[in-house]
Amino acid sequence: MAATLAGLGVGPRGTVVAVDGDDAMAIRLLEMGFVPETSVRVVKVAPLGDPLEIQVRGYHLSLRRREAARIRLRLE
Amino acid sequence: MSGIRVALVGNPNVGKTSLFNVLCDSNADVGNYAGVTVERREGQLSKRLGPHEPITIVDLPGCYSLTALSEDESIPFRVLSGAEGPLPDAIILVLDASNLARNLYLALQVFELGLPTLVALNMVDVARDAGLPCDAQALCARLEVPVVETVAREGRGARELVAALADLRKRARFPQSVVPGPKEPDLAEALQRLAPLGVARARWFLTSAAADLVTARDAQPEHAAVLERLDPATCRRAARQLIALRYARVDELLDALGHTQLLRDGAPTMSFSTRVDKILTHRVLGLAVFVGIMSLVFISIFSWAEPFIGAIEGAIGWLSSTVSSLLGPGLFTDLVTQGVIAGAGNVIVFVPQIALLFLFIGLLEDSGYLARAAFLLDRLMSRLGLHGRAFIPLLSGYACAIPAIMGTRTIGSWKDRLVTILMIPYMSCSARLPIYALVIGALFVSHDPWFSRAVDQGLVLLGMYLLSTVSALVAGFIYKRTILRSETPPLVLELPPYRLPRLRNIGRQVYERTKDFVRGAATVILACTILLWAVLSFPRSETHAGEGGPTQIARSYGGRLAQTLEPVLEPIGQDWRVGVGILGSFAAREVLVSTLGLVYGMEADEDDPVELRAAIREARNPNTGAPQHTPLSGLALMVFFVYACQCMSTLAVVRRETRSWRWPLFMLGSMTLVAYVAAWIVFQGGRALGF
Repeated sequence: MAATLAGLGVGPRGTVVAVDGDDAMAIRLLEMGFVPETSVRVVKVAPLGDPLEIQVRGYHLSLRRREAARIRLRLE
Repeated sequence: MSGIRVALVGNPNVGKTSLFNVLCDSNADVGNYAGVTVERREGQLSKRLGPHEPITIVDLPGCYSLTALSEDESIPFRVLSGAEGPLPDAIILVLDASNLARNLYLALQVFELGLPTLVALNMVDVARDAGLPCDAQALCARLEVPVVETVAREGRGARELVAALADLRKRARFPQSVVPGPKEPDLAEALQRLAPLGVARARWFLTSAAADLVTARDAQPEHAAVLERLDPATCRRAARQLIALRYARVDELLDALGHTQLLRDGAPTMSFSTRVDKILTHRVLGLAVFVGIMSLVFISIFSWAEPFIGAIEGAIGWLSSTVSSLLGPGLFTDLVTQGVIAGAGNVIVFVPQIALLFLFIGLLEDSGYLARAAFLLDRLMSRLGLHGRAFIPLLSGYACAIPAIMGTRTIGSWKDRLVTILMIPYMSCSARLPIYALVIGALFVSHDPWFSRAVDQGLVLLGMYLLSTVSALVAGFIYKRTILRSETPPLVLELPPYRLPRLRNIGRQVYERTKDFVRGAATVILACTILLWAVLSFPRSETHAGEGGPTQIARSYGGRLAQTLEPVLEPIGQDWRVGVGILGSFAAREVLVSTLGLVYGMEADEDDPVELRAAIREARNPNTGAPQHTPLSGLALMVFFVYACQCMSTLAVVRRETRSWRWPLFMLGSMTLVAYVAAWIVFQGGRALGF
């Protein structure tokens, strides 16, 4: 199992390897800045367990685990 | 209309609205783009900011990218490419100086358009406080466009911006774009094939097509033909290469501006917000604060609006009696007072609740909390298939459906917005309360001991609220999976830095939304009020209440209609009198009380209808002599009102928001059917069980 943003856990940094999928969501994630070689980090998990708060390109973004699982990472 | 049009483009949360408000005084023209619910705002550039020709500023919806990933999101590109309205003469691109790492992506797409572009480098104060270098000169040199530093919230830089705008149009501009290199063969191939579309359109089609979302109306036949020549796999690879290449260019720019090192360590502008979020999105405290804030919003619409509503009703009553004493009794007087003045009152009476709700939504949105509320609630709302943002409108529905339905404007997806709109009228609004109170007060007293001993009045009321809540959720669940089927909307939600809300912007939004309601719904509400008045007043008859015999209202068309419909009302335990009440209450649910009063030939005091309660209790069935109204028929009536969309103002505002009669008519039809069936089940089921 390759590492994904959903499995990263709060704290450590990862580097985006690729965004899986061929749909609008994949394009959206890429355009929001999850392009390969971008550094990302999970800041927080929402009180009910989902979604996640993610730091990418100097801003904070909320994604559900389902979408975050499509972002494959390399651990830093 | 002036000749020159300037489009205002930027990411969400970059102060674009503030800038628009600074540039355009307070004369915005707010509307909608045809076919979608995206708000369209245009204003005239203020003369205060220096001499210039007449210029129209077109405020585009905030967007992270020009790519169309949904129909709503196709609007910015359509406007900027001249497909929607005239091609803009120039663009003001608002960039958040404190977040260039993401903002510059949109900038690169805008430069592909080849329109004269001016950059407003906004929030330079925030950026400097966060230690980010902002150098307009350096950015200007790198981007090859004029750059003006602004702090839109304080109005700083507006004059300089207007001066730069005057110079701008003298500069010719050519489309600029990233160029595919040897590592991007698919992109090179795709762009070559799409070249006939022009630089910007080719790239826009490429990314939009990769997401399978070029809608039919965006693709003109000749464009579609070009697109078909492209192999889908190549198209998808090319789109990814294009996005990566643009971000590579963004990174180059960031390097040159000295931002890269700072961004490597995190989000410099988020340090304060991260600390605030330790509480506001905390696992326990966060939810507690959320409940507190929502209670405040709810209480405010429910009860803070009350004095204003009382004052409006008082003023309408005063106006009505003044007019009738001036005109003397007669048909024309009745038309003016009971039709026109009452109708105007029915419109204005919603203004306090609408203004309060939008004040709160404005405060929550502007401060950045609305995004956190969606973050907290997303898990629950996504189970239902809705966005976290649907929560506030749904909650507001308990107070009044009218502001709640307008409040759905914060929901991005059209289908989800419609699902929420259809759910809201099921929420028991405050106008149903007088009906519940009347029925419970009249019928749930201990004259029928073995029924009412077990059923406390409060429990009945609570039951109605529970029923309405469960029904709204079930309705949403069904709509989301049938006629308005769509995927649970993806959550890609920016959590912007917390900011102090700007009252000026919020005040303006409250004013614009309220004005919009009054203008958009007034005609329908007024017309319905007059129509209802006519139906319940004609034909005229000479007898008056108290002389015995049928009352005026019983002989009216409405009264006759209700008597004809009695066979339909009987199975749900109601008689024609209640039928007239139901008809009259269409103007506003609480009118049931006064209409029933008229039917029983008395002046019913809406706040404490003692006499009416007694009359309802005493009413006998003319054939059997048994009590006409029993707790069971009362329960059936209340259940009917839980479900029935007995509110023309709701229908008027749904028409206004959905731009067609289709949805309000569907709402009326479906809800009336559900109401009838539910009341039938209650009454017939109750009788079968021996009540």
